[in-house]
Amino acid sequence: MSEPVILSSRVRLARNLRSYPFPCRMNETQRAEVVETVRKAVATLPYELMFVNMEDISELDTIAMVERHLISPEFASSGKGRALAVTDDESISIMINEEDHLRIQVIKPGLSLYEAYEIADTIDTALQRELDFAFDKQLGYLTECPTNLGTGMRASVMMHLCAMGESHAVSRIASNLAKLGFVIRGTYGEGSEASSALYQLSNQVTLGISEKAALENLMNISGQLVQSELATRSRLMESMEYQDKISRSMGILLTARLISHAEAVRLLSNVRLGITEGLIEDISLDTIDKLMLSIQPASLMRAQGEKLSPSERDKARAKLIRDTLR
Amino acid sequence: MKCQKCKVKNATTQVKRVVNGEYEEYMLCADCAHEMGFDNIFDSSMPDMFGGLIKSLFGTALPARSQASRCPVCGSTAGDISNTGKVGCAECYRVFFSELMPYIKRIHGNTTHCGKSPEGPAIAEKSVAEDARVSEVESLKEELDKAVQEQNFEYAAQLRDRIKELEGK
Repeated sequence: MSEPVILSSRVRLARNLRSYPFPCRMNETQRAEVVETVRKAVATLPYELMFVNMEDISELDTIAMVERHLISPEFASSGKGRALAVTDDESISIMINEEDHLRIQVIKPGLSLYEAYEIADTIDTALQRELDFAFDKQLGYLTECPTNLGTGMRASVMMHLCAMGESHAVSRIASNLAKLGFVIRGTYGEGSEASSALYQLSNQVTLGISEKAALENLMNISGQLVQSELATRSRLMESMEYQDKISRSMGILLTARLISHAEAVRLLSNVRLGITEGLIEDISLDTIDKLMLSIQPASLMRAQGEKLSPSERDKARAKLIRDTLR
Repeated sequence: MKCQKCKVKNATTQVKRVVNGEYEEYMLCADCAHEMGFDNIFDSSMPDMFGGLIKSLFGTALPARSQASRCPVCGSTAGDISNTGKVGCAECYRVFFSELMPYIKRIHGNTTHCGKSPEGPAIAEKSVAEDARVSEVESLKEELDKAVQEQNFEYAAQLRDRIKELEGK
């Protein structure tokens, strides 16, 4: 279930095989060998993971995976010698030969960092029995980019900070968070583009801080941000102008015939706020959160089963939104 | 190459991302990158940014103490690593330990891992720091012998102090 402020939590572990160079230095044969070695190890896991060779799937499907935050843009840029192991519900996935040999990723709804880590940790421990991971007593797990050294763990929470975003509070706290070793960044493009008020907060420091301590810090800061966002929301909702803005957003979404991705995301963000503040009833947060994902270009075209021009997409998007919200 | 936004200044920043379903890759100058919010060096979607940072740091005469110019396992040079911001293989961390350490410290503020480690024999392995120190001591001792033979006693004394310092750790 999505929560009023926190949509989802994610934990990612970077691991490399000791006996192969990192992906930036691997040749085609080595890439294939790593994929095969990892595939065998993944088959021993107590989870049912589907194995996908990235070369075998279409560009549209690949980009739709990026839109769902299942894979990274970097991983999508080339399918050569890369594979993805993923569960049916996409909550657990392993990217093979991205920047590191393995990127184990677990996504859970709401604020559930510990739960996500526990699963990622179980998978990592099980894989460690099958694979020899590059590890050093001082530097921890060795990774292609030194930014991931140590635990190799990047944990993040996706937050809807619409009220704080409105008052530019997010950019003000960003520099303070950086000093604490955390980064907050907008999703769906930067700055003037589609402003969904969705932010991702994640840890940056991976060396010299244990997984547990990093998760605790992240939980702590997330909790504070949630409190601050909720307080700002109540203040904002006292204004009739803002209530009007939310109702109008709903009106447009229910009636528009053509709608761009940027506009849809902005209006859906307003409606999401209206739902959590009790102004809009009968629509669940999950419906909005799913809609936010499915109105993206590649996801939309995939659902329609054909390639669409931007204006055809705007039409299909408007229809999908009307049908879902009615 | 000129910045693709202002078309005036030289491009120093490569940006790769997926926006509205399209994969994009473009080059920006430092100012435009900053303006568009692409100057966060830790952004994992922009690995080349970090490369740029490492490169700029490498330029400022840092001690390059390791003897090897090339990693024997993957063939990376210190230059390759500084240009791309990517380390070639696990062995590189051992070979280029002294070059990499200042950046690692800069990125994380720490230099010693704390947290999970693989179960089993991997734990017993020596750390790269120890290894790097041992190999440095060995090469310093060789140099010391040579200095003594050449009766370069001032240099020999310096070497002896350095060896003492390393072995004392």
